[in-house]
Amino acid sequence: MAEIHLQHLTKQFPGGLIAVNDLDLVIPDGSFVALLGPSGCGKTTTMNMISGLEKPTSGEIYFDEQPITRLPPGARTVGFVFQNYAIFTHMSVTENISFGLRVSKPRPSESEIERRVGEIADILGLRGMLDRNASRLSVNDMQKVALGRSMIVNPAIFLLDEPFSNLDAAFRAYMRAELKRIQHEVGQTMVYVTHDQVEAMSMADHIAVMDAGRLQQYGTPDELYNAPANRFVAGFVGSTQMNFLPATLVLGEHGAGNGRSLTLGIRPENVQLAAPDAAEATLAGKVNLIEPLGAKDVIHLDVAGHGFRVVGTPGKRPRVGDNVGLVFDSARQLLFDDETTLAVDG
Amino acid sequence: MASVRLENVTVRFGSVTALDDVSLAVEDGEFVAVLGPPGAGKTTLLRTIVGLEKPVSGSVFADDENITDVYPGDRDIAIMFQNLALYPDRNVYDNLAFPLKQAKTPKAEIKRRVTDTATVLHIDHLLKRKPGKLSGGERQRVALGRAMVRDPRVLLLDEPLSALDALLRLEMRVELKRLQRDLHRTLVYVTHDQVEAMSMPDRVAVLGSGVIQQVDTPETVYHRPVNQFTARVVGSPPMNFIPCTFDTSNGVVRVLHPEFSVRVQTTVAAGIVDGASCVLGVRPEDVQIVSGSAGAAANVFVTEPLGGETVVDLHLGGQVVKALTPPAQAPQPGAGVRVSFDPRRLHVFDAASGAALVSAGGADGVFEVERPSNS
Repeated sequence: MAEIHLQHLTKQFPGGLIAVNDLDLVIPDGSFVALLGPSGCGKTTTMNMISGLEKPTSGEIYFDEQPITRLPPGARTVGFVFQNYAIFTHMSVTENISFGLRVSKPRPSESEIERRVGEIADILGLRGMLDRNASRLSVNDMQKVALGRSMIVNPAIFLLDEPFSNLDAAFRAYMRAELKRIQHEVGQTMVYVTHDQVEAMSMADHIAVMDAGRLQQYGTPDELYNAPANRFVAGFVGSTQMNFLPATLVLGEHGAGNGRSLTLGIRPENVQLAAPDAAEATLAGKVNLIEPLGAKDVIHLDVAGHGFRVVGTPGKRPRVGDNVGLVFDSARQLLFDDETTLAVDG
Repeated sequence: MASVRLENVTVRFGSVTALDDVSLAVEDGEFVAVLGPPGAGKTTLLRTIVGLEKPVSGSVFADDENITDVYPGDRDIAIMFQNLALYPDRNVYDNLAFPLKQAKTPKAEIKRRVTDTATVLHIDHLLKRKPGKLSGGERQRVALGRAMVRDPRVLLLDEPLSALDALLRLEMRVELKRLQRDLHRTLVYVTHDQVEAMSMPDRVAVLGSGVIQQVDTPETVYHRPVNQFTARVVGSPPMNFIPCTFDTSNGVVRVLHPEFSVRVQTTVAAGIVDGASCVLGVRPEDVQIVSGSAGAAANVFVTEPLGGETVVDLHLGGQVVKALTPPAQAPQPGAGVRVSFDPRRLHVFDAASGAALVSAGGADGVFEVERPSNS
């Protein structure tokens, strides 16, 4: 187990592209941290520098205060799980899971190997299929085997790079809770790279949001969702995107921001639909499109020429073309400076 | 534009049956999504419509023309693949013009069609650029444009959004729905993403193991799934399945569980046998954490905050049941709680076949959740 400390970490590729720009991050021992961002934000490069697959251009990486920046990957006691599960398809599940132990020196006894494989199989729910050939497994079980292969060598740090993106939705939802449980049980430091904000929000203790090589915010899922540091984080986190409007449109003169141009942000679930002429309505809009999602609807509106989204209940669905009033939960609205994109106190 | 129809189509690869007696009719101008997990046969279904796979039995129709033996290039059906396959060395205009040049369209006509298509897709300002200089969403639009430009009878899309970032996917989802509404194309859209399949199409065809499980509006599939497979494929987190047994003593049908029971008033008789195993289906948003001593006892083992809502993973009688709650009401991991279910939203499935026996919310069942059977 280990704390990871990234200090002024920068990676510039030969073409000049700065993939990671002066990144400072402390990942506490035993915590579950997600690196979240769109493709090209530098999250995988960061991961590769932690594992040793990439060398930083400048900066230092510490595991438990030991600088490891110049150590080769094999000497870092780091376990990986990748998106395309690297498993041996000609071997059984047992052979796959035990592989790391069999090639380690000193090699544990057969009975020890068997005990450890059994332990991992129980945690992952693979007990019944240990003798099966890995190529005969479902995609979902293959990913569990890949996870087991990394777990068995008991690495100090676990790195997972979008491990679930090839799995179907139902299994992904199941594995989300499973991985969270496994991490609690084994207590290893886990770093999880994903572009899926649902995965990051639901599993991680802390999330580092990256964009264009820079750290945008490092905080708990709650902090990211309710107190985003800037407009990028506000727009990236949340499964139905936050609405942004010129602040003057909603707040009138108060939105003028003393000469600064401001944008108001409010999440779709913090706006209620009302009659178009309702006294409590902050603004009016016109229904453009309705996306039914089963448990809820996403209602797309046109508000003074701006696209706007509201979460609705399927029982009270307006029709396309309807004029509606919008009631804002004013305690939940945020303001962003248009120049710096940073959140400002209303 | 035209309708397209599969009639009893079976496709085999060696000993593997990829499509098993599949029948599906897509109306003129209709948007149908084909939803299923990896390996369900979705892509095979598209490839069969376009003519890249040949069925061992059954027929494919476009309008009322049997096109089963027609060469792919002569079917007038366009397909857009997951990997966009744009020509990197040609600009957007030439990428869009390519299918028309292949069809020996006159030059003036090519210009008109390319311009029209680019305008509809909002890429008319990018015509001189090469694909490498475009954003992900712009490339997606160019690929879509290339499929649309010949005005094919049917447009087939194979997981077109799966390579995009989450945010862009949200944008393109709305964009595609809007386009379809404005242009009335006959669209068959393959996806493994249930959100896409729920939010965009007129109807969803759920495919599992090469067999069509259900074809209906997204809402009907969500609220009235015909079997456990369909129930699990739509909705995230997926529906909870809780093993129970039927009790029909005293002429009252009850679904029994050690921690609770559900009384079912129904006219359905088939499959309901005293003492038989069954499965209660309840979606996470219909699992309620209640105060007081009513409801079944459960323990919280993990919570997953999603921002706007929180998934609470509960241990209920030795199994995991997921509940969806507002963040402020989410209990702490380790807490003991009481849970109940929204009686208007329950389903009972046959334990052996997985077929839906009774669903609430329709005409065939009224449910009432009762106190734990042992109290």
